[in-house]
Amino acid sequence: MSDALETTGLGKRYGRAWALQDCTLSLPAGRVAALVGPNGAGKTTLLHLSVGLLEPTAGGVQIFGLSPTAQAGEALPRIGFVAQDTPLYKGFTVAELLTLGRKLNPRWDDELARARIEMLGIPLTRRAGKLSGGQQAQVALVLALAKRPDLLLLDEPLASLDPLARREFLRTLMEAVAESGLTVLLSSHIIGDLERICDYLIILSASYVQLAGDMQEIQQGHKRLIGPRQDEAAVASIHTVIAASHTDRQTTLLVRTNGPLFGPSWDVQDVSMEDIVLAYLSQQTRDRVPLPPPAREQIRREALK
Amino acid sequence: MTWLTWRQHRLEGLTTLGVLAVIGVFLLLTGRAMASSFQQLGLSHCVGQTPSGGSCPDLIQAFATQYGLLLLFDTLLIFVPLLLGALVGAPLVAREVEQRTHLLVWTQSITRLRWLTVKLALVLGAGLLASGALLALLIWWYRPWAQLNGSFGNNAYDTTGPVWVAETLLALALGVFSGTLTRRTVAAIFLTIALFVGIRVPVASFWRPYFEAPITRIHPIGQVSGNPSTLSDQDWVIAQGYIDAQGNKHDGLVGCTANQTLVQCFQTHGAQAIFVSYQPADRFWTFQWIESGIYTGFSMLALIAAYWLVRNRLN
Repeated sequence: MSDALETTGLGKRYGRAWALQDCTLSLPAGRVAALVGPNGAGKTTLLHLSVGLLEPTAGGVQIFGLSPTAQAGEALPRIGFVAQDTPLYKGFTVAELLTLGRKLNPRWDDELARARIEMLGIPLTRRAGKLSGGQQAQVALVLALAKRPDLLLLDEPLASLDPLARREFLRTLMEAVAESGLTVLLSSHIIGDLERICDYLIILSASYVQLAGDMQEIQQGHKRLIGPRQDEAAVASIHTVIAASHTDRQTTLLVRTNGPLFGPSWDVQDVSMEDIVLAYLSQQTRDRVPLPPPAREQIRREALK
Repeated sequence: MTWLTWRQHRLEGLTTLGVLAVIGVFLLLTGRAMASSFQQLGLSHCVGQTPSGGSCPDLIQAFATQYGLLLLFDTLLIFVPLLLGALVGAPLVAREVEQRTHLLVWTQSITRLRWLTVKLALVLGAGLLASGALLALLIWWYRPWAQLNGSFGNNAYDTTGPVWVAETLLALALGVFSGTLTRRTVAAIFLTIALFVGIRVPVASFWRPYFEAPITRIHPIGQVSGNPSTLSDQDWVIAQGYIDAQGNKHDGLVGCTANQTLVQCFQTHGAQAIFVSYQPADRFWTFQWIESGIYTGFSMLALIAAYWLVRNRLN
């Protein structure tokens, strides 16, 4: 069984600027992954490469072992894609958009589409341009879901939604995931709303992958160390220091652990997902942390203690 | 995909059909009037003669006075293919990219090349069908004039042969190409106009007269009576003038005064002979097919470029 999404050395260059560079990651099937990074980090580029809208400049991308460009005919039916700001044909009614989905997709599930639209209370005769932003996003999501994809790619689906619309959008998404067990990759520039629904995290920053892995493992593998003011070199020799801040008396480190933490002088704390993400994003300008495979066993054993 | 193409272009399609219907009714009414006048005046007897004999000049004059204005309409029709290219061809891809709906439609289960192929086949097919239908009507409509003036070397050349359909194809293809290149509807419309004019005008003005070498007739001075030309009205005169003692050709006959005879006039310019270069009327269809081929060639280039751009440059 190949991964839902696998990239190797994937890169995309526009002129001289790399929008995405040296991206190697694999997203196992069945995961709900958050692709997090600041604006301009390459999230959209990665998603567009994954759905075959873009051709890679370097490396390759595979969806269930298929190239989304060279094998588009086979790959496209298996990918659901919702683009940023959920573009729809504004002059089409909702019913016509569903017809579009039915005509263009062999695996289309019309029953599912109609049931969801009805459940959302969106009138079928309303033109897409007359729907609220939240409703447009919902319709776009239904279009992608009724395609019965194995992998669903969502580009900043929450960015333009108000909190209520966000919650409803995520509810629709989670219901679909629960029903069909599809793999989801969802980009966002914040982690907030995604923490509850995602179990996999990919941090993309300045066109590089900073971190990718199981959300729980990541959370357990990162600790905040607080102690008297000192140099972080001793810690850095074993663990990876992601962020360090010093006051007159105190040093605070955010580290990715590579084994048990020693040193009685350190007060070890758990870190929130949001803090981990922020730490990685703010270190983007410093030298990049190389990505060893996460020491999963180590982390598990530690977690069991 | 057929459904989507129809859904997206039905407004354009129905509008075109409506305009076509209006033009069609107009052509039918005026065409019938012209045809019956042509018969009543007995103009068919004047066809093929040099216009010197009998009452023919007066009759032709009468016909021209009554219906000459209609030829303006024929001139206006030359812009119809361009209009179609700018308003239907240019937005075909540009509007999708502009409104970002290409992200929606290219990520359904069909590849974008298939998407483009179906759209082009249907839209170009409909465009060619419409222009073909109009062409049939135009040929019928123009018949009285074709017998009097010919269709060669005037506006009717563009509206009464396959060139008319080829121009429609060219305009649509250039429109689609411009749209994929600029990704902006308005820019694409202007580029379409520029490209269409940039191809059509030079081909029609500088290339068309020489698709085949023109026939040149030379008449030494003295053998010429009143009218230097013995051509039929249907032939297309490319150039005429006189040849001086050194054998140089001069276009036109300048500076003749009213009290000179034609021969005297020539002699004051040192003319030894007069010449006329022309394309005989029976080359009309050959020329039509050659020019149609040229426009079809340009259309194919534009479409290939559009495919390449959609495949490689748009996302």
